[in-house]
Amino acid sequence: MVPEGLEVREEEGSNMEIHVQKKNEIELVFTISGADMSFVNAIRRVCMMEVPKMAIDDVHIIKNDSAMFDEVLAHRLGLLPLVSDSESIDGMILPEECDCEEYCPKCSVSMVLKKEGPGVVYSKDLSSEDSRIKPVYDTIPLLKLKDDQEVELEATAQLGIGMEHAKWEPTTACAYKFYPQITIGEDCQSCQKCAEACPRGVLEFDKKSEKIKVVDELNCSMCKSCFRVCESRTIDIGFDDTKFIFTIETDGSTPPEEVLIKACDVLSEKADKIIDIL
Amino acid sequence: MIPIRCISCGKAVSAYFDEYQNRTVEGEDPKAVLDDLGVTRYCCRRMLISHVETW
Ligand SMILES: [Zn+2]
Ligand SMILES: [Zn+2]
Repeated sequence: MVPEGLEVREEEGSNMEIHVQKKNEIELVFTISGADMSFVNAIRRVCMMEVPKMAIDDVHIIKNDSAMFDEVLAHRLGLLPLVSDSESIDGMILPEECDCEEYCPKCSVSMVLKKEGPGVVYSKDLSSEDSRIKPVYDTIPLLKLKDDQEVELEATAQLGIGMEHAKWEPTTACAYKFYPQITIGEDCQSCQKCAEACPRGVLEFDKKSEKIKVVDELNCSMCKSCFRVCESRTIDIGFDDTKFIFTIETDGSTPPEEVLIKACDVLSEKADKIIDIL
Repeated sequence: MIPIRCISCGKAVSAYFDEYQNRTVEGEDPKAVLDDLGVTRYCCRRMLISHVETW
């Protein structure tokens, strides 16, 4: 929906290109070209701060004989990553959008922890009323119990966003950098010093053509170690300010591509709101 | 007790704690164990390397 008199410049954004470099369950790396920094940064900020996920928000401790304080235990529970992919949180709404008094099945999931010592209590000991929403990892140590010690508590998990508390951040490392541009001039003496100096194996000496070759451009951290050792001053490291390498790593609760898709949805919703007001 | 997440980046490093502890006690090189577990950033690596389990 575009109001009359407001011109949309087609050429901007339409020449944007995205290439996925690496993708697995927790990490997504892609290059994005033909974009500007403010736009890429907006996506990064939304990925971190405004994509909802589940986390324990309220803990009712019935019994805690351990040496650990109740507050510390509650804080540890809050930081546990809980499975929050679209399928698992389908139908779940943010507590502020829910019209219930305190907690209801639409906005919260209850979990129970009951364990007797001696031994270490792990995240797998936490039993959830919803079989889908449970800790991502089973091996997280929560607390230690000695002989005859007991712990019994009830925890409530709710949706939230990173802006309120870091436990609701779906991403861990979420960052971008300029795309490096490595130029090797014609008067290169092939002394190979640059290839030796590079700490990341970006440059390599090609024995066939007897020339320095760029083998792993994406891995370049632009440290300029090669530039400093080059006596003939033929190698130069620069960057392309319209091309970025974007990395999204999640805590395992949501797949990274889902975080990106949801972030784009949040961003376009915001844009729609502006258009509606106009 | 090891913190649940890396203090700097938020990765849930505590999930790897038991395996890291067991393998290093048996004499494996901490560097090799961390690489194998996929703990790549130095912020997360120091969480496991510098941790002392006291009680
Ligand atoms: Zn509710
Ligand atoms: Zn870290």
